Amino acid sequence: MQHGATAPATPPATERKDNRALKFILSQEMILLVLSAIAIAVLSTQNERFLTMRNLSREIVLAFEVALIALPMTFIIITGGIDLSVGSIFGMTAIIMGFLWQDSGLPLELAMLLGLGVGFIAGMINAFFIVIIGVPPLITTLATLALYRGIALGISEARSARGFPEWFQDIGRGGIPVNLTIGDQTLAAIPWQLVIIVIAVVIFGVVLSRTTFGRSLYAIGNNEVAARFAGIRTGFAKFVIYTTSGVMASIAAIVFVSRVTTTRSDMGSGIELDAIAAVVLGGTSIFGGSGSILGTILGLILIQVLKNGLLLAGVRGDGTIIMIGVVLIIAVLVNNFIQSKLGSR
Amino acid sequence: MSTPLLQLEHISKSFPGVQALSDVSFDVRAGEVHALLGENGAGKSTLIKIVSGVYRPDSGEMRIDGQPITFNSPRDAQALGVATIYQELSLYPELTVAENIFMGHTPRRKIGPFSAIDWGTMEARAKEILASLNIHNMDVNRKVGSLNVGNRQRVEIAKALSINARVLIMDEPTAALTESDVEQLFEIVRLLRERSVGIVYISHRLIEVFELADRVTVLRDGQYVDTRQVSEVDEPKLISMMVGRSIDNLFPKLPPKPADIVLEVKNLTRAPLTRNVSFNVRAGEIVGLSGLVGSGRSELAQVIFGILPAQSGEILLNGKPVTIKHPADAVNLGIAYVPEDRGTQGLVKQMAIRENTSLAVLREISRATFIKRGAERKLARDAIQQLNIRAYGHQQLVNKLSGGNQQKVVVGKWLAAKPRLLIMDEPTRGIDVGAKAEIHRLMSQLAVEQGLAILMISSELPEILGMSDRVIVMREGAIAAEFTREQANQETIAAAMMGTTPAVAATTSGGTGA
Amino acid sequence: MTATAKVSTPAAAPKRRFRITVSQELILVLAILVISLSVSVLQPRFLEQRNITDILNNSSYIAVAALGMALIIISGNIDISVGQQIAVLASLGGLLSIGGADNLLAAVGIAPGGPLTGLLTYTLPILAGVAIGLVNGFIVAYLRVPAIVVTLGMMSILKGGLIFITGGDVIYNMPNWFKFAQQRIEGVVPIPVLIMIVLTIVMALWMRYSAGGRAIYAVGGNKEAARLSGISERAVIMRVFVINGVLIGIASLMFATQYNSIQTTTLNGLELLIITSAVVGGVSILGGTGTVIGATLGAILVHVLPPAMVFANISAYWVQAVQGGLILLTVLADIVRRRRQSFAGRI
Repeated sequence: MQHGATAPATPPATERKDNRALKFILSQEMILLVLSAIAIAVLSTQNERFLTMRNLSREIVLAFEVALIALPMTFIIITGGIDLSVGSIFGMTAIIMGFLWQDSGLPLELAMLLGLGVGFIAGMINAFFIVIIGVPPLITTLATLALYRGIALGISEARSARGFPEWFQDIGRGGIPVNLTIGDQTLAAIPWQLVIIVIAVVIFGVVLSRTTFGRSLYAIGNNEVAARFAGIRTGFAKFVIYTTSGVMASIAAIVFVSRVTTTRSDMGSGIELDAIAAVVLGGTSIFGGSGSILGTILGLILIQVLKNGLLLAGVRGDGTIIMIGVVLIIAVLVNNFIQSKLGSR
Repeated sequence: MSTPLLQLEHISKSFPGVQALSDVSFDVRAGEVHALLGENGAGKSTLIKIVSGVYRPDSGEMRIDGQPITFNSPRDAQALGVATIYQELSLYPELTVAENIFMGHTPRRKIGPFSAIDWGTMEARAKEILASLNIHNMDVNRKVGSLNVGNRQRVEIAKALSINARVLIMDEPTAALTESDVEQLFEIVRLLRERSVGIVYISHRLIEVFELADRVTVLRDGQYVDTRQVSEVDEPKLISMMVGRSIDNLFPKLPPKPADIVLEVKNLTRAPLTRNVSFNVRAGEIVGLSGLVGSGRSELAQVIFGILPAQSGEILLNGKPVTIKHPADAVNLGIAYVPEDRGTQGLVKQMAIRENTSLAVLREISRATFIKRGAERKLARDAIQQLNIRAYGHQQLVNKLSGGNQQKVVVGKWLAAKPRLLIMDEPTRGIDVGAKAEIHRLMSQLAVEQGLAILMISSELPEILGMSDRVIVMREGAIAAEFTREQANQETIAAAMMGTTPAVAATTSGGTGA
Repeated sequence: MTATAKVSTPAAAPKRRFRITVSQELILVLAILVISLSVSVLQPRFLEQRNITDILNNSSYIAVAALGMALIIISGNIDISVGQQIAVLASLGGLLSIGGADNLLAAVGIAPGGPLTGLLTYTLPILAGVAIGLVNGFIVAYLRVPAIVVTLGMMSILKGGLIFITGGDVIYNMPNWFKFAQQRIEGVVPIPVLIMIVLTIVMALWMRYSAGGRAIYAVGGNKEAARLSGISERAVIMRVFVINGVLIGIASLMFATQYNSIQTTTLNGLELLIITSAVVGGVSILGGTGTVIGATLGAILVHVLPPAMVFANISAYWVQAVQGGLILLTVLADIVRRRRQSFAGRI
């Protein structure tokens, strides 16, 4: 117990301002932005076709699935959890949708809807084990990664669904016809992927940064006990995010199937790695409590740019896997370092 | 008199904002049971941690067998024969009794070039050690996780013996034990004393002190008060040594205007620490809830607040029965809980003041779930101003604030929720005197001017006596006594807390004022 | 003081030293027997010696890998890169055997074709396994990156590396001295089974009788208490990852020499198989408990299931689903059990 009253010293105003400016400059988002800009600049000098509308549009289409999954993954990692089963939910949705349409003869619209239901239920099952039973998210989603992939295998027996109708294929391959011409570039259509992802990014971003729900996620990630003691329904929040993760995975799967017009039981395999890498690169701490959708998007962009760069440098497509693995580990290291330097941990 | 086993001289230790120990001297002799007494926060646990090597003192000297020593880690202390049994037992639930006893120093034997763990010897020696404590029927091959608390504690004691401990420190050893376990523990302590072990025994239960201890040392507010032979003191003397201080006008308490009953609790039960509790709190009054660590006060608060839902009994708010299964229910009903451990329970340390003060009222300051930034900032600024929080702005991260200011943020958070019932658990623990007075003034204002009902849990008797309109004393999960402001004094409360007077099965109905 | 609980003294039944460990293993053995017997009722051929040997043979390299995984999980960590590690190391071994070793020797100026070729082929994969283990272990222990993240990243690095090494091709035409896993002792006991048994015994002895083994249980069981006992968490983590590296190296060689070609595509989902083996074998995913014997038995049980399913006319495609379900169930049971044992902490 103290015996003399001593008021804590207030840091002088100037020191305070410097701190905040430094914090902003050093924030992971800023670094990413700068890095991405540099990388894009370098890339476009090496490959003059990179910065064309058509190419950019194509990039977005290719990165769509990972991006969509990375959004709820951001939420989950912010709360200190993880979802390794998204790739399996992806595959399971694709298979079940194809199976229901092709083998069971259901109308494709219904099959798509049920496909969404698959993601919903799969996510709910994850949430059930994590929230109600109390199995750590890592282990739950590792087990369901096997379970869901296994279900996909079991149902499909390695067969594929094919022959999807035109209108279905247009989802993944088409878009809003615009016939834009800027300079010497033309763009036939704005792909649906871009539309969906923009809407999703806005929704997820706004929810995370501006709503009470988003605030509760940060609270849970930083100090779940205090969040609960403040009256926040932590169980409910976690239920929502894991279920959402499942649903997003299934939306991504449906669009993917429509683009490649086939289903395979190994679809989505490894997508969790890409998503987690993007989220962590974007500044979300793997231990939870911080992060942003903007950061995740920047992380996605940077990874995509790096992939392109590698391709240009003659590295085969599969070599990019190595890069992502390295990026993941380094991103966590850098994030740990930054956070300890800024004194927030 | 031979050299004491362990000597501490002029030990001081401080933490940011708090002087935990100042100039404390203490020694332990072989073959004695030396009790260490003091209120919560008197510095006992800091002292133990220094002796067991967890902390290093800022100044002062430690000696073992007369030789000066420094402990850089718990391992050093153990190597010199100082073993500590904390309240939170340090065991491996999935490993066996024998493994737990010998972890870190398992008996070995050589098989060829290899040094292998000698399970046979380990098992035998474990049995031996237990037998030396008169424990003959514990299966040393059982997993510790399957044992009850009493047995786990015995394993801890056996652990200490396995390193040939000469000084054994026991922190509140009987807190979680049944009566027969306590008896067995006493037997073991006496046995150890006969074997010339020096035992430091920390307990709030004065009965135990008189039954077991040879000498007793009292600490108060981090300072050394006195060391006496147990045979030379009596209970009132001990109590006054522990709590005796002049109660100056530290507490600006306004006289209450008690009104309607806000909270009524009937036969509230949640095993094991909330047993058939009944009491009430009125608007405009401050009820002080006193008791020792482990008496169930925080648990009671958490039952009312929905963190540990009740198993049976009733809670009525303003006369209407309510069900509280989650803190959110409690908040919606107008109950606020300023928790005991502000670091882990009350604050999100990585967040700014602004985000902490709004945490309980997110819904109120948002429109269609969108947080109104302006409203949130205003809330924070109001709290900073009203509570005189010293920070450079609502953006400041809470982990940079001093203890007193952090506590104010927690209080501010709950005041924002405009509660009818405010439960405050150790509201001024670890806070400097100035902030303490401010919080007390605030509590008084809230009660009298705004008609809040306040239930204040405190381990500081002066605070209880100074602030409460009524005092309820809990002991082992049940209400032991109730006093009005006039009836309450240090001795009667302390006596009720420590159980030297029989527990009064109190079902209160509003005190003498009504 | 009022006592609410009755006097309770611990059960006095004298128990043999191994009683606790035997119960989990006993259950596993029983499960294996029950499944085998039930299937053999429908299909007597299931119990033919040849089938039994096949099952044991197939499960051998998984069991060896599960030994390492058991250590890692007991210490409170995880390694999901083991599947790719085996793929890479097996390919490495294969490539070394068909000329890679000779090339290396020639580059250093030593005449190829002698016993050194064989030596290199057999030791380099193990050394590589150790190297990977060192990297994983270092990043987890010293750089404080969670094991799941490190091994997730390592998994993809190895995956890319694999394609880099093999170009996605199947490796075949390996020399006869690189087919030791196909041999049998007395024509009956396959070498892999022998290796599995020997390594299991060695690891079991080590875990039980060495201070290093104790330390793994301690760190996984109660990190704080372990620290107070003076056990270095970092050392334990490095140790488990390195030992795992050795075991994975051996398992890779077992896989590589099993058939006449090395097809790494069959290794999809291998890490899950290995983890399932350990978890089903009683290694609690929450750390601190489990035995290596259990891990081996778990591997065998997990391998009895697919042929059992086939013989029972369940499509083999459901195997992975069953594995996932098994992990969930086992973890569920574990958590329920732990919760019932309320651990005495702060009052």
